[in-house]
Amino acid sequence: MFYLGLISFAASMLVMLIALILTIFQLIKRQTILTKLSITLASVSFGLHTLSILTLMAMQVLQDYSISYVVSVVNSVMPTILKMTAVWGGQAGSLFFWGWTLNLVLFISLHVRRQIQDGWSFLFTALNLLFFGVLSLFAENPFSRVWLTEAGNILEGVFSPAAGATVYGGLSGFGLNPLLRHWGMVIHPPILYLGFALFLVPFSVAISYLIRGETEEGLLGETRLWLLSAWILLTAGIVLGSWWSYDVLGWGGYWAWDPVETASLIPWFTSTGLLHSLLLQKQRKIFQRFNFVLILLTYILIIFSILITRAGLLNSVHAFGESNISLPLTLLTLTLVGVSVALLAWRWRRLYSGWELTSLVTRDAAFLYTNVILISLTIVCFYGLAYPLVTGVLTGTQIGLDRTFFDQAATPLFILLAALMAVCPLSAWSVNAIRQLGKSAVIPLILSIFLTAVSYFLLTKSWLALLVLFVVGFGLLLMLALTLRDFRSPHEAGKRWWGQRARYGAWFVHTGVLLIALGIVGMEALSGSIQGTMIPGDKMPLRSYEVEFVQLTTEYENPEYLTIEAELVLWKDGKAVAKLYPGQHLYENRGQYVSIPDKQSTLRGDFYTLLLDYNSMMGYVTIQASDNPLVNFMWIGALLMVLGAALAASMPWKSLQPGYIDEQEQELPR
Amino acid sequence: MKKNNRKTLVAVLVIAVALIALLIATTRSSTQYFLTVSELQSGETDMTGRNVRMSGVVLGDTIVYDPQTLDLTFEVAQIPGDHRVINEMGGMAVVLEKAAADPTLPRITIHYNGVKPDLLKHEAQAIVSGSLDVNGIFQAKELLLKCPSKYESALPSQAGN
Repeated sequence: MFYLGLISFAASMLVMLIALILTIFQLIKRQTILTKLSITLASVSFGLHTLSILTLMAMQVLQDYSISYVVSVVNSVMPTILKMTAVWGGQAGSLFFWGWTLNLVLFISLHVRRQIQDGWSFLFTALNLLFFGVLSLFAENPFSRVWLTEAGNILEGVFSPAAGATVYGGLSGFGLNPLLRHWGMVIHPPILYLGFALFLVPFSVAISYLIRGETEEGLLGETRLWLLSAWILLTAGIVLGSWWSYDVLGWGGYWAWDPVETASLIPWFTSTGLLHSLLLQKQRKIFQRFNFVLILLTYILIIFSILITRAGLLNSVHAFGESNISLPLTLLTLTLVGVSVALLAWRWRRLYSGWELTSLVTRDAAFLYTNVILISLTIVCFYGLAYPLVTGVLTGTQIGLDRTFFDQAATPLFILLAALMAVCPLSAWSVNAIRQLGKSAVIPLILSIFLTAVSYFLLTKSWLALLVLFVVGFGLLLMLALTLRDFRSPHEAGKRWWGQRARYGAWFVHTGVLLIALGIVGMEALSGSIQGTMIPGDKMPLRSYEVEFVQLTTEYENPEYLTIEAELVLWKDGKAVAKLYPGQHLYENRGQYVSIPDKQSTLRGDFYTLLLDYNSMMGYVTIQASDNPLVNFMWIGALLMVLGAALAASMPWKSLQPGYIDEQEQELPR
Repeated sequence: MKKNNRKTLVAVLVIAVALIALLIATTRSSTQYFLTVSELQSGETDMTGRNVRMSGVVLGDTIVYDPQTLDLTFEVAQIPGDHRVINEMGGMAVVLEKAAADPTLPRITIHYNGVKPDLLKHEAQAIVSGSLDVNGIFQAKELLLKCPSKYESALPSQAGN
């Protein structure tokens, strides 16, 4: 098994290297079209790479403890699904998995109907892939084995580290850290990685366009689907991480501005900006330079994010700890920056596309404002991340910024962004259309002011929360009003809707973001919590709820840990509405426990309970109960964003010709 | 054309100034010194009351937790702050194990009010944000824990078996 895994991995990299060398020869002969042979070799490489990762997975499931990676992430009692997904549970495995993801993306890009790789883009994709493959092979090999020396010491190495040493499989597996044993671990990393990896294709294609000096808008049409799919997965990946963090609490709540979280959000800002300005380039033939910069920057920021996660430069709950790959990763980041800057400087004049705005209130202006804010957010977050690194180099002591920095600096920008999204449906490509649309805004405006006033008396006195509530309310009502207006004449309404699905898709995404804002208001301004110690029969009140403690149970339902659970009854307005079982899993061998919160989820919000402490002898428990109103709108909003983006992606780029949207606007019933 | 360029320049300047103002204002209020236990206690500059982020190894015997009031106190011992030093000493797992067993290292008491984190135990790495009070106790506003010993570097700790 070991040989199968290692050899197929090494062979896969070798075959890719041959494909790369062949391509370089072609490029020297000024043949930029990718040869059939290179494509075949790349596919073979992907096949071998896949075989190799499946082998690692099989060794985990079969618990082959002669492999040191398997020892560190698997044990005999973990469920099979977690044994399989432990591929990305540790440093070496997840780096290996990331390399495979890049190969998968390359494979897809070579075999989709519209193959967009040419020699140059293939060169850059393969180089990136090989970089990570080689790191895996030589620095963090997941197939590294456990050896027993003659002296009785246990060592680690791919090949025998000392004369007379034999492969040793007698260690027992440690298993995945209990905090990682969650559904989030199964889906969050691969989705995020795939989202990251998909950006490599637009990056490489953009590099190729720059080298060839081609500035036709072909690039945009060809990479749009890639960018949208990458954006969808990136969005889903980030939100799944947030959901996981909220669900287990162990990571510090739904969002903590942890360096790794922040680092994954930065490419999201730039790619979101890119999706907007791409449309602008299509419609108005402006912003070409800006788009090239954003495509290149997004992938560079992704590599930077990987650097932050793996180099252990910043203290973070996610980081893998110290590692010997930070230097090569830093070099890769700098190289990518250097190549991008040089190519852009070389082609800067040719990329000029002019940029005249028709007016300060039209849609192109709104897009420009959106991008200004997104770029500002990028700068703020990057500054916050880089600050301790820079001060560390300059002064010797790292001086950092705590999370209040991110809260304070990003909040005003987020609110501006939400406000722009709220008024977005009012913007149009021409000033005339805006006057028409303005009339539809009156009723939503009055209603949202009314709702904000009601919130002031009933919900919160925080002006910040009220401001966000007003913006969100107005935005949602406006989109609803305009949608209703579109459907006033039922004649072929469905067909009309489908014909404008790019616009409605964007609206869904915006609705989703506004709903997420609503969820954040719920968590930050409206939630309340209480904790108390109870004996059976005691009740603890929180708002209109009451929590009753029934009994404490202790069970060995799992061979690895002891389950301690408090049985609670949740009362609302004098009626029992749910039974909740917050508990702890006590891993006695590790001397570690994991809290397992339990919650009642409704559209109104979550009632979240946590077992803080217990005494099984005396039979009392300490419970923390929180009422988190509106929180589920975060997850609903995220789902809408993903679906909306998919809807917009189903619209062929060709049909978004200049003027298309104007015509659609004129078709609106007046 | 020229006029358009000038307008653009003005707009870019205004945005840049606004952004820089935002950054400066927020940087001031949230600056945080990343120190080790001994650096904090050395007294070269009086750090009392300043916003500090510090990392140390948790001493399991010293953990006192009152779930009623959520008051949590524990001691941490000095660990080096430099990654290179940690690597030279054999990695974080080894550093934590040694530091927890060495009574000569500087120690400091941490007080934190909040739910006791699952990972708070002997030999875990605690990363605390907060400030030193006049009694020499570190009042933590944020408490983060990592235990690499059981996760990444599984092998060395089993070598004795």
